[in-house]
Amino acid sequence: MSRSWKLAAVLLPGLLVAGCGFGQSTTQPNGKAASLNLSLKTVPNVRSITVTPVKATFGNCAGGKQGNNTASTGSRLGYPNGICWVGETDPIGVYPIKITNTGIASFVYINGSSAAPSDGGNGWSLCNLGRDPATTCNGSRHRAPGIDQYVVKNFSPTGRPDFSGLSGTPECDREFGQRGRCWAGLGASQTEGFELIGPFATTDNASTNWTMTITWTPVPTDGS
Amino acid sequence: MSELRARLNRRPWLVVPVALFGLLAAAAAAAATAAATAAAADAATAAAGSIGVGIQAGPVSLKTAAHPGGSYQLPAVYVVNTGTQDESVLLKIDRISPGHGRTVPPSWVHVSASPVRLSHNQSASLPLQLSVPATAKPGRYFSDVVAHGSGQIAAGQANLGVAAATSLDFTVAPGAVSSPWFRLPAWWLPALGGLIVLGAAAFFFRVSGFRVRIERRAAPGDVPEGQEHADVT
Repeated sequence: MSRSWKLAAVLLPGLLVAGCGFGQSTTQPNGKAASLNLSLKTVPNVRSITVTPVKATFGNCAGGKQGNNTASTGSRLGYPNGICWVGETDPIGVYPIKITNTGIASFVYINGSSAAPSDGGNGWSLCNLGRDPATTCNGSRHRAPGIDQYVVKNFSPTGRPDFSGLSGTPECDREFGQRGRCWAGLGASQTEGFELIGPFATTDNASTNWTMTITWTPVPTDGS
Repeated sequence: MSELRARLNRRPWLVVPVALFGLLAAAAAAAATAAATAAAADAATAAAGSIGVGIQAGPVSLKTAAHPGGSYQLPAVYVVNTGTQDESVLLKIDRISPGHGRTVPPSWVHVSASPVRLSHNQSASLPLQLSVPATAKPGRYFSDVVAHGSGQIAAGQANLGVAAATSLDFTVAPGAVSSPWFRLPAWWLPALGGLIVLGAAAFFFRVSGFRVRIERRAAPGDVPEGQEHADVT
């Protein structure tokens, strides 16, 4: 027998024994391992908002000029500067739109949009009244919308009407939260209505249907 | 009516039951009217439903500093439809909340999977890609990621919309994006692959012993090589 065969004869049984040893070491001990499954629920970490209109439509329109046959009638806005309502302010108090903060505590912002005519003609842009308006109204002494301008004000049972009106940029919705700081916790809701003041005149004389969008946005900070 | 009056005059004891019957009938009619009104209002509400949208509360942040000219994958943004109607959710970069730092130009952030169509309570995570131009100024940048719900509910001629915002912030450090000192062009990898394939084919051809013999046969009438001038002399 050569030397290498002898070496193999010695190593092979040794390896077998070592293998048996490893095999024994993997057997389960008598005591059983126990594990405990735990589950944990966390609070929602989402910033969200939901809007529910109960019965919302522009109505109670007034203003305009009877002599020109452009006075407001029922749900139709007249010129110049007719006024229509979604809901009614106090003392009757009808607030048809319900806004609910369905997420974590946030600041609720609101903004409007330009009014677009159904025929794709010239739209009406939002303007603001009072001091430091975001967009100045060009009507009489800057106290009313000018040509192709309009104002939308929101109101709620809190009695803090928005005198200046909405702008196209999201801003704090003063109807929310204490002292109008627009802070809303989870589940906090507010019911609101709108007052729309129409333009002095419109350059799109063909359209009688106009649409605009009012958007609520919960945001993380008010910058203070 | 006069007949009923005459009968009641003849039988006065009938006045009480007739009056009670009238009262009951009136009460039932009023209750039915109220129920119908309430049902109509509920039906109108149910038909209108609600619109809602949500976004993750946690800010969208880049953990490392960005460099001018660099491109970075931002964490995906979680959005959810909290309304009762199906709607498309569109992500936009818009500075709403007044935080500190430079405003992030919307063109820097690319949202590949937006808008996304979501049903009631359905959610999605939308990836964002940040591309910082080489001319970007260093400093802290801040803006909002705003999820706009496309679902709108009409209030007369006014549409009511919803949106939800979360912060977006990152820092741009000075200096161009770091890159290795030696960079190969993008075409080098396919070119290298092609060369390897060609080399392997040549090696296989050589090893296989396969030979291709190319010979030129003389066409009939051709003068054999070396005898082109044999008849001249």
